[in-house]
Amino acid sequence: MPIFVVALSWLFPEHELWAHFSQNLLPGLISSTSILLIGVGVGVTLLGTILAYLVVMVEFPGRKWLEWALFLPFAIPAYVLAFVYLGVFDYSGYAQVWMRESLGVPGFDIRAGSWAIILTFVLVFYPYVYMMTRASFKRQKINLIEAGKLLGASPLKVFFKISLPLARPAAAAGLLVTVMETLADFGVVSLFNYDTFTTAIYSAWGDFRSIEVAAQLASLLVLAAFFLIYFEKKARGQAKYYSANVSNTKPYQAKGLAGWLITLFVLGVFMLSFAMPMLQLLIWGWESVGEEWSAKYIGLITSTSVLTISAAFITVGIATVLALPGRCKQDSLWLKGVIRLATLGYALPGSVMAVGLLYGINQISAISMYFSGESINHIIFGSIFLLLFAYVSRFMAIAYNSIEASAQQIKPVFTQSARLLGATRLRLIWQVYLPMMTPGILAGGLLVAVDVMKELPATYLLRPFGWDTLAIQVYELSAEGLYERAAIPALIMVVFGSILMLIFQGLDKKTSKTS
Amino acid sequence: MNIKRLISITVIFSVLTVSSITTVQAVSDDSVTVYSSRKEHLIKPLFEAFTKDTGIQVDYLTGKGGALIERLKLEGSSTPADMFMTVDAGNLWYAGSQDLFQNVQTETLKSNIPAYLRDPQGLWTGLSVRARTIVYSTQRVEPSELSTYADLASPKWKGRLCLRTSKKIYTKSLTASVIYNHGESKAGEIISGWVNNLAATPNAKDSHVMNAILSGQCDVGLVNTYYFGRLIEKNPNAALKLFWANQDTTGVHVNVSGAGVIKNASNAKGAITLLEWLSSAKAQAIYGSLNKEYPANQNIASDGMVSSWGTFKQDNMNLSQAGILQAKAVKLMQIKGYK
Repeated sequence: MPIFVVALSWLFPEHELWAHFSQNLLPGLISSTSILLIGVGVGVTLLGTILAYLVVMVEFPGRKWLEWALFLPFAIPAYVLAFVYLGVFDYSGYAQVWMRESLGVPGFDIRAGSWAIILTFVLVFYPYVYMMTRASFKRQKINLIEAGKLLGASPLKVFFKISLPLARPAAAAGLLVTVMETLADFGVVSLFNYDTFTTAIYSAWGDFRSIEVAAQLASLLVLAAFFLIYFEKKARGQAKYYSANVSNTKPYQAKGLAGWLITLFVLGVFMLSFAMPMLQLLIWGWESVGEEWSAKYIGLITSTSVLTISAAFITVGIATVLALPGRCKQDSLWLKGVIRLATLGYALPGSVMAVGLLYGINQISAISMYFSGESINHIIFGSIFLLLFAYVSRFMAIAYNSIEASAQQIKPVFTQSARLLGATRLRLIWQVYLPMMTPGILAGGLLVAVDVMKELPATYLLRPFGWDTLAIQVYELSAEGLYERAAIPALIMVVFGSILMLIFQGLDKKTSKTS
Repeated sequence: MNIKRLISITVIFSVLTVSSITTVQAVSDDSVTVYSSRKEHLIKPLFEAFTKDTGIQVDYLTGKGGALIERLKLEGSSTPADMFMTVDAGNLWYAGSQDLFQNVQTETLKSNIPAYLRDPQGLWTGLSVRARTIVYSTQRVEPSELSTYADLASPKWKGRLCLRTSKKIYTKSLTASVIYNHGESKAGEIISGWVNNLAATPNAKDSHVMNAILSGQCDVGLVNTYYFGRLIEKNPNAALKLFWANQDTTGVHVNVSGAGVIKNASNAKGAITLLEWLSSAKAQAIYGSLNKEYPANQNIASDGMVSSWGTFKQDNMNLSQAGILQAKAVKLMQIKGYK
């Protein structure tokens, strides 16, 4: 629905503002957005794929421990990582102060150019690609790789000729999610003061009070997302990737120095993306715990949990129905279209989606007013219904991709044999499809839960009284520059997120053993 | 996990969720409901003191100013809000222009708050005054080098200036005052000069600007004085000082935080009581000590630290101009490449 509202805005053009935007803002924004997307895209694909390949295919010291540790950065909200990095690495941060004073390196503005913000995004979002390619590497048939080795191919050649092509669809799926997240981000880009397309949307809405131009710009964003999804599907092609038997022996053993170098590299990524920011948050939190901690955190944690769990259940429920196998064949292009639309919300910045929803609700409310003479606004704003609706629209893509991936692994032979044995469709779903899709359903649910917990803009705009979340507390304190105090709610979020990620990882282990 | 157990959990949970979302909050009749873009930790102590004095309960919802205005517009006559509280005259002016406020001009307000800090039609009332002025490094800048906002555009500050992002409302209002005082084309030159003098990409926050000066990245910047106050409170020996800008010309740019009573308020009486209480000496002192702002009530003295910065001449531009000229200011900054 928010997408339709956004699209309808083209009926109300505003020429003067468009002239200003296209003359003074858009050329710069399009190039800075493209640089950011290309940089982040290349970065997460390389880093995520290489890490996943190393932990799956190579035995090196500390591998078991690092394999799950690499999931953890997903629990840190991007804006939290951004303010920690700025606090440490900007000109006035102690890393640079130390470099200037002890090493005599001249200081520099890390917010100039785009490398620092690209690096930040890469370290926040690489887990998407890592998660997906890791699962795909695990499913690859070891005997293919053994065959490659027997034919005398070097490890690099095996990687490029066998493993990488097989993992391409998974990497593309992770890349797609990353690109959409980057397009929708507002927190990191405002801390770095880096202008993207989202900046123009906010400017149109906030500065020029033109909800129409904002919606028109947002619809361009949706269009871009649509093409991205289209090309990703196209790139995946008709190929089907069924799971193979998983073996626990690693094709490669990295011994001695090589092994330790790999350990150092993987550990370095973990330190930079999780351990160092956590340490900084702990230091800040320690300084401010007396000032900031109070009984109201019980309420913040409760409402965060209720919203997170409800949104995860609802999203996963809908995504499961959409992803049930065999539907697209019988049903039509129409259904495919609905699914595509339902997953587009991910590219919309949270507050654009929220405003789209508000306008949509206003229309519905006007209709109800016309028929019943009573406004329903107080019911809508007094409940968390609207907020849950926004979460579901925004994070459908995450749940759907995860569940669809597991649905794709149901070999047609299962369906056929069940049919031959006279199973009804309902029984087929209940006894064959759902049990087989369970890993994807659980994984999707956990990912959505972590994302909802971190969500800020839609929550800030749409929540009813008494539904403040931890993310809102982080925002309110960090907006005033009170990072020490903001560390407290941020730490609680990261701890909860880490627990969810560990459950996710545990499930993953279990399913890979049983499959 | 067994899928059937999972589904039964889902069903139980959905029932719980539905029952929790249908409990629409009941607001008791005599409580006052406030929408505020001031952050919770700055308003909660005020509301608690108010409840203690009057017995009237205050419920509040925080949010971003622009977003709350949209929400108020959409909620229309069914809004639970009785009062809207925000920072920046531009925001207050815009809320007034959207017909969200009702006219409130009581004797108490008139005697507590001077006319130039109130909307001429009584739609909103300023409750605290914030000054945006020059901050400089005491190690690398002589106060005699400093004079006006416009002077920061002169070549002698090349590579020595740090500014906050143009996306922040305080920058927009200051630029609006530059347009008001100098005209649009001169204002454009001044902004270009600022941009040329920048030592770093404009910062996201005033506190970052001051940190940049302290660490030697730049020598001068522009900040709201209460951010300076908070920094000095934590780090009394910081090599930073405030300089009152434009003292021989138009005066320091000031802005307000303030509030208005919602047109469709269900408890307008309570909201007016709260507004009057917020303008009283007692509340104004809390404002000063909580956030190092200047009182809007001229009958009381500033907080101790705040008064130690000395008195200064204020720009007497009517504050509604900040709202009227805001779009022009943003456009100009976007054209001149002030990020």
